[in-house]
Amino acid sequence: MMSAGVFKTATRGSGARATETGSARSGSAGSDSAGTASAGTASARTDLQAPAPAATSRTLRAGTWLSLPVRSRSLTVAVSLVAAVLVVAVLTVTLGTLGIAPADVVASVLGQGIGTDRIVWGTIRGPRLVVAVAAGAALGIAGTLFQTVTRNPLGSPDVIGLSAGAAAGAAAFGVLWTGIVPQSVGALIGACAAMTLVFLATGRGFASPSRMLLAGIGVSAMSLAFVEYVIVRVGREEAITLAAYLSGTLASRSWEHAATIWVSLVVLMPFALAISRRLQLVEMGDEQADALGAASGRTRLFAVLVSIGLATAAVNVVGPIGFIALAAPQIARRLVRAPGPNVVTSALTGALLLCLADLLTQQSPLPVQLPVGVLTALIGGVYLGYLLLGQWKKGSL
Amino acid sequence: MAHTPNRIPGSTPGSASGGAPGVASGRSRLAAQNLVLAYNNAVIVDDLTLDLPDGGFTVVIGPNACGKSTLLKALSRTLTPASGSALLDGVPIATIKSKKVARQLAMLPQSPIAPEAITVRDLVGRGRYPHQTLLRQWSHADEVAVQQALVATSIADLADRFVAELSGGQRQRAWIAMVLAQETELLLLDEPTTFLDIAHQFEVLELCSRLHAAGRTLVVVLHDLNQAARYASHLVVMKAGAVVAEGAPEEVLTAELVESVFGLPCVVVADPVTGTPMVVPQAGVTHRLDSAAA
Repeated sequence: MMSAGVFKTATRGSGARATETGSARSGSAGSDSAGTASAGTASARTDLQAPAPAATSRTLRAGTWLSLPVRSRSLTVAVSLVAAVLVVAVLTVTLGTLGIAPADVVASVLGQGIGTDRIVWGTIRGPRLVVAVAAGAALGIAGTLFQTVTRNPLGSPDVIGLSAGAAAGAAAFGVLWTGIVPQSVGALIGACAAMTLVFLATGRGFASPSRMLLAGIGVSAMSLAFVEYVIVRVGREEAITLAAYLSGTLASRSWEHAATIWVSLVVLMPFALAISRRLQLVEMGDEQADALGAASGRTRLFAVLVSIGLATAAVNVVGPIGFIALAAPQIARRLVRAPGPNVVTSALTGALLLCLADLLTQQSPLPVQLPVGVLTALIGGVYLGYLLLGQWKKGSL
Repeated sequence: MAHTPNRIPGSTPGSASGGAPGVASGRSRLAAQNLVLAYNNAVIVDDLTLDLPDGGFTVVIGPNACGKSTLLKALSRTLTPASGSALLDGVPIATIKSKKVARQLAMLPQSPIAPEAITVRDLVGRGRYPHQTLLRQWSHADEVAVQQALVATSIADLADRFVAELSGGQRQRAWIAMVLAQETELLLLDEPTTFLDIAHQFEVLELCSRLHAAGRTLVVVLHDLNQAARYASHLVVMKAGAVVAEGAPEEVLTAELVESVFGLPCVVVADPVTGTPMVVPQAGVTHRLDSAAA
């Protein structure tokens, strides 16, 4: 998708120079448009300095009451991502011995499947696919909001203990102390408790990445230890289910799960979109945002709450799946080459990643089907290491 | 106006603003009235009353940590006063909605953060936020304002470049273009020349001067006294959270004042180019505070 070759080589040299000085304010001007970019903080972090002219922007208008700027590159990326999700979805239902014949896919989806197709779509692959799309999208949005709030790619729900906290809450109220509140509310309580702990433990809120990370690791460990405790306490069957849930799984999801996550997504996504403009301003520093009338404190709190809501909704139905919230916003940002929380593209990227990971686990030659969370954790671990290395080199950790 | 400044500012009410009128006349759009500013109970600015002349190019100078930036924050409504108030058109600014304030007054903080992968045009466009609503995010007026800001700062040809690619001076002009796109009469800049080399510093100051000539009211914090004297129409000198002198640079900037405020023995001569006061430090200055106390 990316014609990356040209601009990557064009910016390598300057990127290396900027890395040495870390927060270098600027170098000299790149005088031509062929990509002799000067070293700046942004170039040190990413390879985003494309020599190509920046994406143009169009305005979507409806009467006098609506006018939204739409970057044409973002639109192209979004359409491509939708297409990619559809392709993965079709592969998910058609591949393998149970696969529905491509010609019968549409009929099956519309509920007119016959024989095994009805079961394959209705109970085996349909729900998990529909859940995967929404859960991936929810995690992608939660990630981009949180990363923008913390101005750091490491500030993701799965890294700083939000997901683990939600899992602990779900385990506590869904299995151990049943009947007090529904499991979903329990997950929300767990997530909020975890974030409150991280917020307090860092002393400076979400401002310092390294403290946030350390506090997050601690809170994650405590949360997971609690889930282990629940596993030990409850009966064997529940324990097995819980263990699978803990690693994050899409196996045997039901249409109820699908409805839960989709409702959450549809309800919360408009809030994410609404706050994203103010969040863009917060990216420029609290003072600048305040001066522009974007009330940085309130904006940040609101974004964190929406993010907690979305991540919790996802964890509630699929368990604490790692990597998606961490990576989707970063991939989306590189694809659209635009600053700010890219809510729609992050959502689509998250959906694509999770569907793709699930397709891999379903079609892997392993005798036992891995929970999808194991796969994402594996990839996520490598990616996290890469991020940490980058931050360490920059000296910002 | 060229008086000996008060050494212990704020010790008695009314003396805090030196020779300036003790009470805001209420005639300028932006003013401070008995302003007390504090961070976690540490008082930074104490009982400050000040008028920022309309259509003026006010430059605020003073030693590090004298409260210059803090004052600017209060004037731009990004810091809530402990008591007293910053007044915009005679109304305490904290009582006005921040978005409404941002349509009257623009503020560029000391070190704003350029988001990753943002183009100059997008950055400047963000200055339009106060004029936009959730559903009407981009209008023709926005387009025009951005283009005018780009032209005014001479960066129209850089509009589609990434901010990270620009030189220091160009980047600062892009930030100034962003606050210009806000289309406000009042413009507050907190040390816009810091981190720039000398040529870029003058580039930015010349830009400020043009904006002033075009009718905007500027309030700018600067560190360089000679630059302040050269460009300011109105100089405000602060020390330890109080205004110790204000007025035309020629009247205010004297050797006695510089020594008492900055602890720097110096002579003040006429700038060979502009004739404005120019501060030349004396040789062998090592213990600034000692000599200041002498």
